[in-house]
Amino acid sequence: MIRALAAAVAAATASIAFASATPGAAAPAFTLTDLSGKPVNLADYRGRTVVLEWHNFGCPFVQKHYRSGNMQALQKKYGKDVAWLAVNSTARTAFDYAEPAAIASDLKRFDAQPARYLMDTPGEVGLAYGAKTTPHMFVIDAQGKVVYNGAIDDKRSANPDDVKTAKNYVAAALDEIKAGKPVSTPSTTPYGCSVHYR
Amino acid sequence: MRKLHFCLLALAALNLGFIARIGAAPMVKTEHVEAELVTDKAAAKPGTPLTVGLKLRMEPQWHTYWKNPGDSGLPTRIQWKLPPGWKAGALQWPYPQPIPVGPLMNFGYEDEVVLLAELTPPANAPAGNATIAAKADWLVCKDICVPESGELETTLPVANAEPPQNPRFQAHIERARSHLPVAPPGWNSRAALRNGSLVVQLTPPAGVEVPAKARFFPELENLIEPAAPQKVTRDGSAIRFEMKLADPPLKDVATVKGVAVAESGWKGTERRKAIEVSAPVVASIAAAATTSSSSDAASATSVAVAIVLALAGGLILNLMPCVFPVLGIKVMGFVEHAHGDAFAMRMQALVYSIGVVASFLALAGIMLALRAGGSQLGWGFQLQSPAVVAALAALFLVLALNLSGVFEWGAFAQSLTSQLTARGRYADAALSGVLATVVATPCTAPFMGAAVGYTLTQDTAHALAVFLALGVGMALPVLALSVFPRMLRLLPRPGAWLDVFKQILAFPLYATVAWLAWVLGAQAGNDAVFALLLGLVLVAMGAWMYGRYEHWHGAWRSGIAMLLAVLGLVVAWPGAAPAGDAVATAQEELGWQPWSPEKVRELTAAGHPVFVDFTAAWCVTCQVNKRVALHNDAVRHSFSSHGVVTLKADWTRQDPRITRELSALGRNAVPVYALYAPGTDNPRLLPEVLTPSVVLDELAKLPAPATSLTQRSPERTVQ
Repeated sequence: MIRALAAAVAAATASIAFASATPGAAAPAFTLTDLSGKPVNLADYRGRTVVLEWHNFGCPFVQKHYRSGNMQALQKKYGKDVAWLAVNSTARTAFDYAEPAAIASDLKRFDAQPARYLMDTPGEVGLAYGAKTTPHMFVIDAQGKVVYNGAIDDKRSANPDDVKTAKNYVAAALDEIKAGKPVSTPSTTPYGCSVHYR
Repeated sequence: MRKLHFCLLALAALNLGFIARIGAAPMVKTEHVEAELVTDKAAAKPGTPLTVGLKLRMEPQWHTYWKNPGDSGLPTRIQWKLPPGWKAGALQWPYPQPIPVGPLMNFGYEDEVVLLAELTPPANAPAGNATIAAKADWLVCKDICVPESGELETTLPVANAEPPQNPRFQAHIERARSHLPVAPPGWNSRAALRNGSLVVQLTPPAGVEVPAKARFFPELENLIEPAAPQKVTRDGSAIRFEMKLADPPLKDVATVKGVAVAESGWKGTERRKAIEVSAPVVASIAAAATTSSSSDAASATSVAVAIVLALAGGLILNLMPCVFPVLGIKVMGFVEHAHGDAFAMRMQALVYSIGVVASFLALAGIMLALRAGGSQLGWGFQLQSPAVVAALAALFLVLALNLSGVFEWGAFAQSLTSQLTARGRYADAALSGVLATVVATPCTAPFMGAAVGYTLTQDTAHALAVFLALGVGMALPVLALSVFPRMLRLLPRPGAWLDVFKQILAFPLYATVAWLAWVLGAQAGNDAVFALLLGLVLVAMGAWMYGRYEHWHGAWRSGIAMLLAVLGLVVAWPGAAPAGDAVATAQEELGWQPWSPEKVRELTAAGHPVFVDFTAAWCVTCQVNKRVALHNDAVRHSFSSHGVVTLKADWTRQDPRITRELSALGRNAVPVYALYAPGTDNPRLLPEVLTPSVVLDELAKLPAPATSLTQRSPERTVQ
């Protein structure tokens, strides 16, 4: 009995490897499937700037940026130059897990336009990047290097009205990359709901 | 308007959202929270501050956040709307609890929290009613997160009289106040950021003990990796937190602010659980320790005491069974030369002393370097390696055989150094100093492990000073004899008695060999002991041959003797990986279960008192305590009648988990005896030297066991 308990305690306390995609380091490679089940490899986008947006429509912080139209506007504005990939690392067992079909219809309803929406149900890619919240944003340059890791903007709230007055870190990074300048704010503290890993 | 409409539609589609409240009230009920504005006084007096609180009562398992929410979440925010002239102080946050979410970590509150603030009405506040209003926003989360908000207000009469207490909320506010971090006077704190970790060290005023377990919550978001385990150690009288810095680390951090929380409470604060920390960032904590301040003066005196004690300890070492014979040989050498050149003798004594001190420092240096490199070592580490134990056994046997008269060093030692020249004698003196230290180590570890181990928790300079004192103390008798050669005259003249005396001195050394063989048995099993003894036979054969065939050509004689000795060592060399089973059976003791940190947690959580014996086979004090106290019938009976589960943490071989636990308890060596009362994770430490009455007294302080526990105790103490 005691042994069984001890084993259970040991299993519960065993920590999951949680890494971090640090600005300046190579972006961890991955292959994930999109909502229609097609594989998407990060390496396919080498030579283009890539934005990774950790996503879950069940999160009020994500809703903030979709209800205000903020995220769609960014996707549209930068979509020509940038590969915008939304990633969902929510575990299948989590309360806020959504099936691909449901996500597809929500995307349509919000007129969201990420280039691809990737399912990371085992959470491995999220853990490799150290994605903590939804949203949590990463920008990867054409050489496959992480150049931004952090929040979408500097107004840490779930209030859609704050979008108007916020400084958008991702837009700033993408503008700087386009102008051939280094990203001046490569790292911020992300805010939002916890990503519900297994 | 159209946009609002769209928003509402979207909300409905997602089945989530705000509960919007129009109009303010003292209490607001949202989907998951009951929010209320509370005050400590039932009225306000102009110019006199009063305390107001935002009380949030969460649905079970839902939580709101601290000012640093951790990996995700948002801190609760309050915007005051006060009558003209009123001033609001900063929000006072009760200390948070860690809330793990999978691999992430949040800092916040479950059940209920009251966030406090001080409000001061102006001195000229008009009499009548004053309305205090607040708009509060909070994020409340369980599996999902819901941002909620409330407009709250409460009305107080303003009168120029002593305001009465508000009995309705008194308890809530008192509870919140008792959870606020305090800043006790006389504490000193420092922080260092290096190599990816944040170190925060808190030094209490003299005489105040720090808890063994605590957790640090930094105020700054994204400073540390909130989910990474914190390493908490006691460093002398101080407590030290080591945390993983966020990657990339924040830049330009000049002060690390936060809260240190200990479930057992902080001494000198009326058992408050949280203290406020504002630690200036210094280049490194060790360097900071040399800059003087009031609390460092206290630690300087304790280091002075440690040095004096080490000097005395070194002196006593000379009487230890492993050292005394070697000292004897040295002193006898002086006796033989007593009538010779006094200057040369004095120089020899000095060189011997340098040999002793240098070897002590070298040994300490090796260990400190290994520890700095991350090895989990404590004093006594020399004896944790079976190979070192085997080699020491062979060395002691050779020394003993020499004293027994099986062979003479004479020619052998001189063939190593140049013959009979003064320089040869100095080399001989220095070597015997080294030898004396090497043979002293198995004695220092078991008898002085705890004391020496304590000094190792100090910084490097202090630790080395203590080792220096130990070496000087050990060299002192020889130094004294050389400075006062007249003392030598008090010794009897050399003669036949000297041979007998030497031969008698051999026996403590044989006993030391026997003890080392037993230590090896505990480390590496029965087979290793057999190999050791066979090897020792070969070593003895070499020594005998060397002594018996004195007339042989020097090189041949030494060569064959060395060959046999090396062969003996090869045979005796313990295998790298001893059979785990053999070791386990060797360590089996009736009624004692093997220790693990999880087991302690699990047993104390289940309401059992737990006694942990941190021990090692090579620790003589441990063995004595075991015989005298722990295996005493009355003590055993008391263990079982109190329902105490007895665990044994065996440090005979290297075990990083045990080293970590020892340092969490502020120790670095065995023996350590820890008694955990049920439901606590902060043990009482018993003294290093146990008597039955010491143990019985401690057990008597335990809360009376429930009857069911007593009935079940026999089956629990035997696995």
